[in-house]
Amino acid sequence: MGEGRDQRVLSRALLLLGALLLASGAPLRSASAQRLDTLTSAPRREIAIDERLATDAGLRIGDLVTVAQEPGGRGDTVRIAALVQRRADPSEIARGEYRVHLHLDQLQQLLRYGDRVDRFAVATRDGAAAAESAMEAINDAAFGFRAHRSRDIAVETSTTFAVVSRFHRAIGVITVVASAIFLLCIMLLKIDERRRDVAALRLMGISARSVMRSVMLEAAFVAAAGSALGVAIGAAASAIVNWYYRGVYRTPLAFALVTADTLVLAVSLSIALGLVAGFVAARRLLRVPPLALFGR
Amino acid sequence: MILTLALRTLARHRVRTLLAVAGVAVSAAMLLDMVMLSSGMRQSFRALLVEQGFQLRLAPRGTLPFDTEATMADASATVARLRARPEVERVSAVLGSQLHVARPGSAAGEGTVTAFAIGIDPRVQGDYELLDGRDADTAAARADAPVHVVFSDGLLAATGARLGDTVQVAVGHDPQLRAFAGQRRAIVSGRARFRFLAEGQRAAAIALPALQAMRGTDGHDRASVIMVRTRAGADVEALRQWVDRAVPQATAISTELAMRQVDERLSYFRQLAFILGSVSLVVGFLLVTTLVTVSVNERVGEIAVLRAIGVARRRVVWQILLESVAIMIAGAALGLLLGLVTARYLNGILADFPGLPAAIDFFLFQPRAAWTALGLLVAAGVLAGIYPSWRGASLPIARTLRQEAVG
Repeated sequence: MGEGRDQRVLSRALLLLGALLLASGAPLRSASAQRLDTLTSAPRREIAIDERLATDAGLRIGDLVTVAQEPGGRGDTVRIAALVQRRADPSEIARGEYRVHLHLDQLQQLLRYGDRVDRFAVATRDGAAAAESAMEAINDAAFGFRAHRSRDIAVETSTTFAVVSRFHRAIGVITVVASAIFLLCIMLLKIDERRRDVAALRLMGISARSVMRSVMLEAAFVAAAGSALGVAIGAAASAIVNWYYRGVYRTPLAFALVTADTLVLAVSLSIALGLVAGFVAARRLLRVPPLALFGR
Repeated sequence: MILTLALRTLARHRVRTLLAVAGVAVSAAMLLDMVMLSSGMRQSFRALLVEQGFQLRLAPRGTLPFDTEATMADASATVARLRARPEVERVSAVLGSQLHVARPGSAAGEGTVTAFAIGIDPRVQGDYELLDGRDADTAAARADAPVHVVFSDGLLAATGARLGDTVQVAVGHDPQLRAFAGQRRAIVSGRARFRFLAEGQRAAAIALPALQAMRGTDGHDRASVIMVRTRAGADVEALRQWVDRAVPQATAISTELAMRQVDERLSYFRQLAFILGSVSLVVGFLLVTTLVTVSVNERVGEIAVLRAIGVARRRVVWQILLESVAIMIAGAALGLLLGLVTARYLNGILADFPGLPAAIDFFLFQPRAAWTALGLLVAAGVLAGIYPSWRGASLPIARTLRQEAVG
């Protein structure tokens, strides 16, 4: 392993153990009342904390804090060297705890953990094939270890979001059904309102096919205009949702995305629904004799 | 008379009316589901928390119960202090741990099944309901004697164990050394439903001292959660504040506080319910307004004739309002049935949330939810009828009759 790679592994292990410390309920208190500690000659160890903790506890870079395994227990006084932003990780959204990043050796000492880590993260140079062979090599050679693909872990940890996604899809289907009925109803009313116009056109010799085309074209225009308005409202709603939930959960994660796929699906579904609604409404009207449409 | 006229007017355009009722039904179903969603999960979570009457839970400082692997030291001293309080009726200390269970006939480490174990005192516990067999031991037996444990159905199925079987259980697995921190023999004496765990989750209950002893120094006199039941009329909030002051290693969480934290974590679903419920209501309102307005426009001549022969403006207003309310009520009745079906389906989707207790329902039917949905729909129906009824009632009689006669 190259030095850079070692550092990557180390920093990831450090991050994971940092989470463990928080899980142990380690307190962070301002050490402003412990200035005597600064008289010791040894240089202060440094830590990084997440910006939510900094905001909530009123901490800044350069502040001294004490970290310990137990509330009120003996710990180390350290200096805050950096503030870090939470990653855009969906699995962390509902978790309210704070994160502290310590050097691996210091955390191992604090937890009396010995020379142990919870896991290693390994980055390979040549993509998926290299990752596969590295995983096989580790699993064949290492005793007491088990290597997993990152994507397998991602699937495992994103179960919650897969459930939410299925829920959204089900809600989407109900919405589409409601929209289809609404659109059909509106088209029926629109066409019904034009009974006399249609009757006049038929009596003038305009073919039923032309009337049908005209009605369907009109339905497509209505659906397209509605889709355009819907896309604008959707984009605005997406921006509001992201702004609001990023504030609530204090994460850079995007909660609602208007993608090209979404746009194509929404617009094509809307136009298709409009055309079906127009066809049904026009067919119903064209079955009635023109004079009957005039009420005679 | 007015009602008959309103219904006959609706029956005149059957397809149109049926479509409107169907549209309102889907909106009503969605509205009912969202009303159920906004209150259901809260109610079912509260019911779960108060089911056993424990009003206060002590978790390691800064954490929620079983949210992390943190534990509290000096658990027995804390329990004793709590029991000494006059307002406290019952205290139950619980230690959580990963448990490795060997299948009957095999040793620990060979084909073990991993489960979640709770160390409890069965006399005071509120975590599970014994379904079959006898309960777990109340105290640790001698280390070389088997301890009686209770398994969930999921664990019984995974291990293939039956009541009365002796299995090897262990904690603290070291993958490098392939060794355990502690292990002992256990007799599967009972089958239980664990209230706070997911359906099918592998779980076991074992005497607290036995589990603490198996974990060695790591588990010595430690607990993950301490649950407190107070006597009737006791001031829970005062007790919570006392615990916060007197037990520095713990955070005391009352049922109300837990509900607030759950509200915070699940705020997304409440907000989604509010937004989708509002949209459903607006869609239903727009649909009925449009339909009734078009219907009024189509029969301005009729309305003008009615007015000309002496029918009061008030009666015209009532008739049009009744038309919109009738569509709403018919749609709501159909929608409530549809809503119950879709709620069951959506609840089935959300029940797959990992670790969600089986007792939690996101969509909980309560008569109040149905009445709320119906009330909102009727109100929307009345509002939807205001514009067309105003239009119908304010028609200039002579001019309308002339226009209709001339065509």
